[in-house]
Order: sequence, then C-alpha cells, then structure tokens
Amino acid sequence: MSETFKLTPLKIEEYTLANGLRVVLNSDNGIPVVSVAVYYNVGSRNEREGRTGFAHLFEHMMFQGSANVPKAGHFQHIMKAGGTMNGTTSSERTNYFETLPANQLPLALWLESDRMLSLAVTQENLDNQREAVKEEKRLRYDNQPYGQIFDLINEMIYQNFANAHSTIGSMEHLDDATVEDVQEFFRIFYAPNNAVLVLSGAFETATAKQLIDTYFGDIKSQPVPPSLDVSEPVEVAETYREWEDKLAPFPAFLLGWKIPQRRTPEFNALYLAGKVLYDGESSRLYQKLVKGEESVIQLFGFTDERRGPSSIFVGAIPKPEKDLSKIRETIMTEIHDLAAHGPTAEEMEKIENQLVNDAIRMRQSSMSRAQSIAEFALYDGDPTIVNRDLDDLLAVTAKQIRHAVGKYLNTDNRALLDVVPTGNGVGI
Amino acid sequence: MTREFRKSAPEPLAPVSFDIPRPHQAVLANGLRVVIFEDERLPLVSFRLSFNLGDVNDPAGAMGMTSAMTSMLTEGTGNYSSRQLAEKIERLGAGISASSSDDFTTVSASSLSLYSSEILTLMAEVVLHPTFPEDELDLYRRNTVEHLKFQRSQPGFLAGEQAARLIYGRHPYATVSPNAEDIERLDRDKLVAHHAATLIPNNAMFIVVGDVNRDELIAELNDHFGGWQQGSIAGSDFAATPVRDKRSLTIVDRQGSAQSNIVLSNLGVKRTDPDYFPLIVMNQVLGAGASSRMFMNLREEKGYTYGAYTRMGAKKLSGDFEATADVRTGVTGDSLKEFFYELNRIRDERVGEEEMADAKNFLTGVFPIRAETQEGLTNLIVNQHLYGLPEDYLQTYREKVDAVTVDDVQRVAVKHVRPDEMAIVIVGDAGEVLPQAKEYAESVEIFDTEGKLKKN
Repeated sequence: MSETFKLTPLKIEEYTLANGLRVVLNSDNGIPVVSVAVYYNVGSRNEREGRTGFAHLFEHMMFQGSANVPKAGHFQHIMKAGGTMNGTTSSERTNYFETLPANQLPLALWLESDRMLSLAVTQENLDNQREAVKEEKRLRYDNQPYGQIFDLINEMIYQNFANAHSTIGSMEHLDDATVEDVQEFFRIFYAPNNAVLVLSGAFETATAKQLIDTYFGDIKSQPVPPSLDVSEPVEVAETYREWEDKLAPFPAFLLGWKIPQRRTPEFNALYLAGKVLYDGESSRLYQKLVKGEESVIQLFGFTDERRGPSSIFVGAIPKPEKDLSKIRETIMTEIHDLAAHGPTAEEMEKIENQLVNDAIRMRQSSMSRAQSIAEFALYDGDPTIVNRDLDDLLAVTAKQIRHAVGKYLNTDNRALLDVVPTGNGVGI
Repeated sequence: MTREFRKSAPEPLAPVSFDIPRPHQAVLANGLRVVIFEDERLPLVSFRLSFNLGDVNDPAGAMGMTSAMTSMLTEGTGNYSSRQLAEKIERLGAGISASSSDDFTTVSASSLSLYSSEILTLMAEVVLHPTFPEDELDLYRRNTVEHLKFQRSQPGFLAGEQAARLIYGRHPYATVSPNAEDIERLDRDKLVAHHAATLIPNNAMFIVVGDVNRDELIAELNDHFGGWQQGSIAGSDFAATPVRDKRSLTIVDRQGSAQSNIVLSNLGVKRTDPDYFPLIVMNQVLGAGASSRMFMNLREEKGYTYGAYTRMGAKKLSGDFEATADVRTGVTGDSLKEFFYELNRIRDERVGEEEMADAKNFLTGVFPIRAETQEGLTNLIVNQHLYGLPEDYLQTYREKVDAVTVDDVQRVAVKHVRPDEMAIVIVGDAGEVLPQAKEYAESVEIFDTEGKLKKN
C-alpha cells in the first residue's frame, strides 16, 4: 500500500535570525490554535560530573521569572489566555512549548523571548525548585515499583559519562547546585544561536515573522558551547546486575542493547524490529509470552533514540514461580529467529500500515507537529525531514531488519538487570 | 535597559472565532443513535461505540463482570481467534480497544480512512459476535488476579481505593476494583448472558469522526448493526451514599515509601447538577492547574511537592471533590495545614475579580485545543450525549462559563467543599505519618496494603 499512499507534505518555511536563532514556520489554519516550541540544544548529556540532574533543574528555573515576568507568571499568563504549556528535559535537549488560541501568538513569543533574554535567578527560587524537583524524583522514580530500572540499565549500557548518567540526577548533586551554576549554564546554553523556534498552527506568515523579529531579534548570540564527545566503546560481553527493589511486588528483568544513533538505516531497522517483537498484541513476544507460554504479567519494549549511541530495551514482569531464565531464552529464540529469517511479508505489511497511521495521527495536533519539526531542525539541521522521515522508514527492507537484528541483538553484548523484590508487607 | 514593548504582556491579535460544527445525527431502526462528523483534514477515521452502562451495572454478586466481558470482546469471535483478530487489526495499522468505566462501556476503533470499511467490519464482529472462549477466559482470570496484586504496589491505587470506600459507602462507586474471589467466580455462561443483556443498540451511541461520507457510512452501519436486536435495561436501585459528619484519617501503611500520597475528599455532585459550571470555575481557581492556588502554595511557595491539585469528579449518579498531592514524608502534617488553609479560604473569602476572570478565560479559551484531534472531538461529543446534556451544550459551553459570578463561586465552595467532614487518606509510612496527621482528624484507622484493617 505504500506505493499508493502519498502523504501531503507539511508546509515548512525556515530561516535564521542574525543572532543565530533558527526559526521554522508550519502554517496550517485547520483549527484556530497555534503551538510554539523552543528547543535548546542542551540536555543531561551536557552536564558535568558532580552536577547530574542540573539540566532538568534548570528547566524548572525557566518558569521562575525573567526581567518582565514574575515567578510563576509564565503559568498564569498562558493559562489565563486559554493555553496549555510545559517543558521537558531529556539526554538530548530541553524543550519549552505552549499551545494557545491563535490570536495569542504575541503572548507566547513575548514569554519565550523574555526568558531567553533575561532569566531572573534568585537563591530563594532555586531552593524552592530544588525541593520541587526532589519531589518529582521521589514521585516518578524513588516511590514507584521498578521506578529506577531504566536509569540503572543506562549506567550498564553506556561507558561514557555523558550518556550513562540519569537525567533526573542524584539528590546530592541537586543539593550542590548553586545560583552561579544556573547563571553560567544560562549564558553558555540558553543563547539564541543554540536554539530552534518552531511555530505550527494558525497564523499569518508575515505577522509571525514580524513578531519573531521584534521579540527575538535583539537577543545577543553567545560563543558556541563547548563540543561534546558522546562516543562509546563497542561492547564485547554481557553485563549483569541484580537490583534490590523494596517496592516491587514481583521479580522482573530488563534487557538492553547499545545500538547505532537515530535515523541511521540500522537504527531504523531496529526500531521496526521492535515493532515485530514487542509492539501490540499481534507481536511475536506478546503471542509467545503473554499468550502461548502464559508466563508474564507484563511485557514491554522500546527504543531510546539519541544523536549518539542509542539503545533498545525488552523487559518483562513474569508471573510468580516462573523461571526468568526460561523467559529470556524465549526472547532470545525469537531474536535468533528474526536474525535468521527476518520478518514475514505479513509483518512487513503491518509495519508499513502502522508507520503511515502513526505519521498521519501525529499531524492532527499543532503541538505534535511543532515538536517533531523542532527535533529534525535541532538534531539534523533540516526541519523538512518531517516530510521524508516516513519514506525513510518505509524504505527499510525485511533483509535490513534481519541483518540489523543479527548484528546488534542476536549477540552476547547485552545488559541484563534483574529486579529482586525485598520489601515486606508490600504486594504479595 | 528593558525596551518598552517588553514591559507588559502584549495585546492579542484579532480574535478568530471557533464554533464546533453541529454533527450529522441519525437513529437506526433498532434505536442505535449515530453521530457523524465529516472531517476531511486528514485521511483518518475514528469510531466509538459507547454504551450507557458500566461497572456499576455489574450483576449482584458479580463484581468485575462488565469489565471482564468488555476485555474479552477482542479475545475471540465467531470468525476469528484472539490471535487472528490481533493480526487482522494490526496488519491494517489500526486499533480496536474495549473498556468499561463506572458509568460507561466503550469500544473504540481507529484507522486510516482507506481501511474504514475493514475496521468497521471487525468492530461489528467484536461487538456482536464475541465467543468468550474458555481458554482465553481462563487466561484472563489468571492474569487479572496477578494485576490485582500488582496494583497494590502503587500508592495512587491504594489511596483511591480507600477514598472511594469512605465517600461512597455501599454505593457501587465505592469499589474501584474487584477482588481475586470476584475474578475466580467469573464463568463463561454468565459473560455470554451479560453481553446479550447489556450490549444493546437502544442504550448506545455510535460516534464517527473522520474522512468519511456520511451517507455511505450510514448504509454500512445499517449493514453491520441493522440486525442487532433491541433489549431493555432494568432500572437500577443503588444504595445511598453515606452522610459524613466528621473528619477522619485513614492511613495505608506502605513501608519503604519515599513520600506520603495524600487525598482529601468529600462527596460532590453528579455531572448534570446545576452547580456544575460554578464548580468548574471554583475548581480552576482552587486547584485544577499549575496556576491555581494549591499548586502555587504547596509547590511554588513551600516546595513540599511536585504538584498539588483539586478535582471535581462528577459522574453519572454522584461525584466527589478531591484535593491531592504526593509530598515528602517529613512535611505530611505541614501539607495538611496548607491544604486546609486553602480549602477554608475558598469558602470564607470572595475570589478576586482578576483571579475569577483568569479561571474563566482558561476554561473557555482551551476549548478549541481540545477539538484539534479526532479523539479530542470524540470525547467532547461522547460526554455531551452520554451524560444527557443539552443539544447545544458544546455551542453554549463558553457562555455558561462566562455567566458564573463571584457569588456563585463562593456559594458552591461553601456547599461542596466541606473540610469538616473530609476523609483524609494518606498512603505512606504509618509510623512517620501518624504523629504528623492525627491532630487533623477526629478518628484514625490504619490499613495494610492488602486493604486489611490493622488498627483503629
């Protein structure tokens, strides 16, 4: 069906301001709302040793006020205009975004530009957000069963500190962060020439350009941030760790492999291999383990795409009394089979339809469009990849999937994390 | 030196009007109501078949029946096995899912519009001809029993379980999950009978949003669902919700907890209550979002939590008001102090005009964002119809929010936010929590994570 289906390309216009800010406009007047996304080229991978969690703590500080916007004023301005907003931090980037009724575009640009120009940092606000971030860490990681396993396995998969350490960071490092650290980080990384601004939704291009020029044009550029080495040695052996989890009700395990960076043909092939292995109820491992052997309560898998070495995971929470090594054997048998024979024609058809469906569903929302465009602009220097990415994925052949699985997954070079429940009175 | 244009928020551009178009409506001969939104923006389609009954309609002594019946719809039909169904659906790049909530039962499907007919055929097969195979039911029972154990490791589940019990008493909303014995008791004959009795066209509505032609679609719906027999739904007689007259403290002792998960709750209103609009405005001021009072106080000022919120959970038959936050254990008592400070303030003091306008502007302004996706638009329409809201509900929503006054907000706060009779539920380390929290309540009970009373 891929031959007969042609996606209508998104309208993309890109340009760069004199200060280096890259701007991408995607106008679409379907619904009178507009989304604005600002992506800064800084994530936890840019943190120095002793300051894990800092990029994310800094993200919180971006909501604590700037020269003309008081603390928490950002939330209030957006919400009273009928908008929604947030910010997130990953290893790769920090993003800030809002969706508003179309006529509130000036408000979004004013708010984003004011904090890019003149972030206000006080000890009091830093102390307050340090506590909020610690509670976020407790809520999402420390107080959840299995909450820490992905951070743990990343430390096993990656050797390079930039890749290996967690984005949420450690409590001790959060405590050590100073106002001076925040100011320094702001100067180095939060410059217009280290960011991408994307507008998607209902706006007039001429008006938008004029507003962008007014609000962002006079923000000074900064020296290019220091270059970053994210290279990794090639693995040669299995790494194993046992993790005692006092909140987990059942044993569980997580397998992880280091794989090539995003958007390489091999990464794409492995992303599609994941769909065959663990995505949906018709996937091989679901049919083998949840049905079939009926040995697991929960099965999951995903790829973590990065600009440098990336990773792919498969994990399971087995039923009580089930033999974990036998379940892992089943997983490795399926991987071996995929490496030997590749996906079937039916599986390839499924992949194609799912890719097309996913790509079109993404296009419904102005915020999803803005975020997807911003990633291509920031990571690849080319926002129009949003109009080619589907074709690149559809071009992956069964043979490429077979080869990539054979080369990267059907090996002993994997990390295995065993979760051992140690609590009493919790769960069973 | 700040330039003049930066000093204050800019004026908006000229407003762009947005009206939710009125959909095409039809009723099939068997009473199935159909709502169709022709939306040609993208080559996609979303179907949703919603039944006006849910978990509260489980037969007496058969808790979990509706949920099990719904989950089993995709586990085997007259023509296909569970595996064949999964393969056929996913090979189209599509999805079909079925689930039940307290009040409603829903089967959803979505696909490329190219496969509209194929997915509709499979959806009809799943709804009309499920076979509830014994081996799949057996697997469902065993997996569900393990899931019931698993959810007891999660603080949010444990808090919700206790709060529902305390607020709803013997009303079916009191039970958030069946227990293992309920699940073991499920048998195939009962599921078959429950399916036949409850999934009937004259108690359902079928919503379509997407790139479809409505005349062709109505014809297809008639082909698939025209022969579906009407039925009748017996009236339900539910126990009344209890009257609470004092503040209680319930601790779930979850050893090893890094935080206290706090829920404060009292009985609220049903979705069609005339106080609904003043209540959502009041709730917006008090705690619905990141610019509301609870968040500003407990997070932005005190740093006790990642987020503190209030919620008006208005359901079909009743509802509850809740204030919630996960806070570090050491500030459990301090957090209760701030919660009650805000709960009393919204009752005792009139809300300022600016705070009021901000709340209303959010509720009216955010409306078009919710209509961007097919799923979002479907949600808006489903809620309107299933709750029996007026025909022009979506069209007049913004006017109704705008009409709410400061007096209305104070009146509904006094009436529906009742700190003196709240149930305080805290999931955390009981030894640490009890000394901090006991002064806030007239009675104390402590449960283990299995839901068993340890001490009172």
